Amino acid sequence: MIKGYAGRILEVDLKNRTFAFKPLDENIARLYIGGKGYGTRLLYDMTKPGIDALGPENPLIFATGPLNGSVAPQSNRFVVVCKSPLTGGIGNAACGGSFAYGMKKAGLDVLICKNQSDTPVRLDIDGDKDSVTFIDASDLWGKGTYETQEILGNKKYNAVIGPAGENMVLYAGILSNERIAGRTGVGAVMGSKKLKAITVSGSRKLEMDDPKAFKEYNKQLATMFKDHPVLGHSLDAYGTAGIVKTTNARNIIPTHNFKFGHFKQAMGLTGEYMHDHTLVGTKSSCIHCPVTCGRQVELEGVGTVKGPEYETLGLMGTNLEIPDIRKVQEWNYVTDDMGMDSISLGAVLSFTMELQERGMLQSGLNFGDPSGVTEMIRDIAHRHGLGNDLADGTKRMSEKYGGREFAMHVKGLELSAYDPRGSYAQGVEYATTNRGGCHVQGASMYLESVGPFTINPMNLKLKADIPMLQQNLACTINSMVLCIFTTYGMIPKFIHEMDPKSWQYRLAVAAVENSGPMLRIVQSIKGKPMMWWEKWLTLITGAPMSSGHLQEIGARIFNLERMYNLREGMTAKDDTLPPRMLYEPLFKHMKSGHPLDQLLPRYYYLRGWDPTGVPTRQTLEKLQVAV
Amino acid sequence: MRVAVQPTYEMTKLLKMDRFELDVADATTVADVVATTRTKVGPEFDKLSRLAAIAINGVLTSYQQGMKTRLSDGDEISFVKASAGG
Repeated sequence: MIKGYAGRILEVDLKNRTFAFKPLDENIARLYIGGKGYGTRLLYDMTKPGIDALGPENPLIFATGPLNGSVAPQSNRFVVVCKSPLTGGIGNAACGGSFAYGMKKAGLDVLICKNQSDTPVRLDIDGDKDSVTFIDASDLWGKGTYETQEILGNKKYNAVIGPAGENMVLYAGILSNERIAGRTGVGAVMGSKKLKAITVSGSRKLEMDDPKAFKEYNKQLATMFKDHPVLGHSLDAYGTAGIVKTTNARNIIPTHNFKFGHFKQAMGLTGEYMHDHTLVGTKSSCIHCPVTCGRQVELEGVGTVKGPEYETLGLMGTNLEIPDIRKVQEWNYVTDDMGMDSISLGAVLSFTMELQERGMLQSGLNFGDPSGVTEMIRDIAHRHGLGNDLADGTKRMSEKYGGREFAMHVKGLELSAYDPRGSYAQGVEYATTNRGGCHVQGASMYLESVGPFTINPMNLKLKADIPMLQQNLACTINSMVLCIFTTYGMIPKFIHEMDPKSWQYRLAVAAVENSGPMLRIVQSIKGKPMMWWEKWLTLITGAPMSSGHLQEIGARIFNLERMYNLREGMTAKDDTLPPRMLYEPLFKHMKSGHPLDQLLPRYYYLRGWDPTGVPTRQTLEKLQVAV
Repeated sequence: MRVAVQPTYEMTKLLKMDRFELDVADATTVADVVATTRTKVGPEFDKLSRLAAIAINGVLTSYQQGMKTRLSDGDEISFVKASAGG
């Protein structure tokens, strides 16, 4: 077995209450690493086209990668893969917490939950005894994610759903500790199986190719991480909430259902404001991660709870035009406890508010008014009243009530908190990402609107190249499985310390912007490992990994996802942005919206796809994508 | 004409306000507004603004005419610092 892997997969049949341990397929591991890549390969091979995402044929796949369990920083994440009930295409969501570590301790690379239980059930997996116990979960059914985890205790590693998952809210997620696999409705699939929770335990150790060198390298990295402006400082000081001020200033934070990109009262929602006024207790992180991006706040009547992340502040703060940080903190807690994706939830709430504003639906929800929101979140989770409609997401809401032109989703997945009209590469990424409108499948916005070294986000230069390269990289990051935040460390400290107003900075940006194919060429070189994730992978598995290797593997994973979506009936027509993004100007100089039509053909060409967005036979053969 | 200024968070603490508005002459440039902001913030300004880019209505001045970029009525000038997360 390749080092870094436990070497086995656990298959559980929830209806028949049977299980089997099977060997990991080394060939798949070599081609797809693990995590999202391995899970996607399994999903493609295990399922027929057109299955009901909430039916028994849809497997729920929990997948780890070779870095999980290694105690490398930012490395304890798992990915859940299944057909998405929200989009009808590929579904996946990554999650931190501690469950990935637990899976590897139990000697599991992958856990596949098949079929559906007739009654609420939870699984207890003991990796040392090679046992799986099916336990009646009627006593937990209906309980929130926090109470459920409290009852399960912290001696084992947990993954749970809340009422939203139980009631198959199409954007329900799965929680491990306070972190959530939020996107694409993976929690609804878990709920459809009546699987309330999974606990894992074990004492297995991860085998590495060169543990001594790995340990030594991590010692060196610890200093670099601690000293890095993002990994060591800004995320530590402000968490992801530190972005609010930046995106608001760049006019790309969603406001009034993405009608605007700037909220005048955003200061009270910034990470800096939270730091000074509402944070309490200690900062938190996923297990073994030195980057303490989690925050705690005090909630009246509840106590100390997790504070909101940037996405929640954007989608449920500025987007609803609510400047009251304490309301957003409350909604963040309720949303997590109910077990829902706050990105999709915020978008569907803002869509509902715009319907109300236009007189298309009487919901009682209004922009700038927090009343009724907490109740609606609970109604959605329980599918009560109008909440039953909101539980189906923005796309289905627009099909029922109208408003397609301001329904902010791609392929059915609601957009994250970066307006693509001020971030063209991010727009291409939203339009083409296989799971739909999400930012962490590439995070192109970091290189054009948010980070310390940003090219002009509103010309066409590199706006098709960057999304492709970033999507490929993100595919591998989600297959090792690492946190996407680790890629923010790739911009070295000295660049962070450049004055963006200086001529040196402007010259450097111009050089990159006008580098033509160089960015792609440099990243395609199969040489020695340079970045830490390449070195970790090399030291753990023994297989040399460099940027070129990872770009190839990432492209393989991305193309397999693409083939899955095509098999499910998606076409190039689904590679689009909401009409508001395409036709409504956001900036003074704009005559229309995002220029997607000018960028998509080049993106297809770079991908090796034909003009209709289908990967060519040569592309699939070159990447060894068997379909 | 009238323009608005959104300083960095650290500056707002010194100014004791989130943003402020200025009445300026027609040919006013970004440099003029930065100079006014420097006066308002005080000696800490240079330190606090060193790593901040400047945006007009969300568009960085580095994509325009830099500090010489002329302003229009209603413009919002922001001091922008890089960040990360998601």
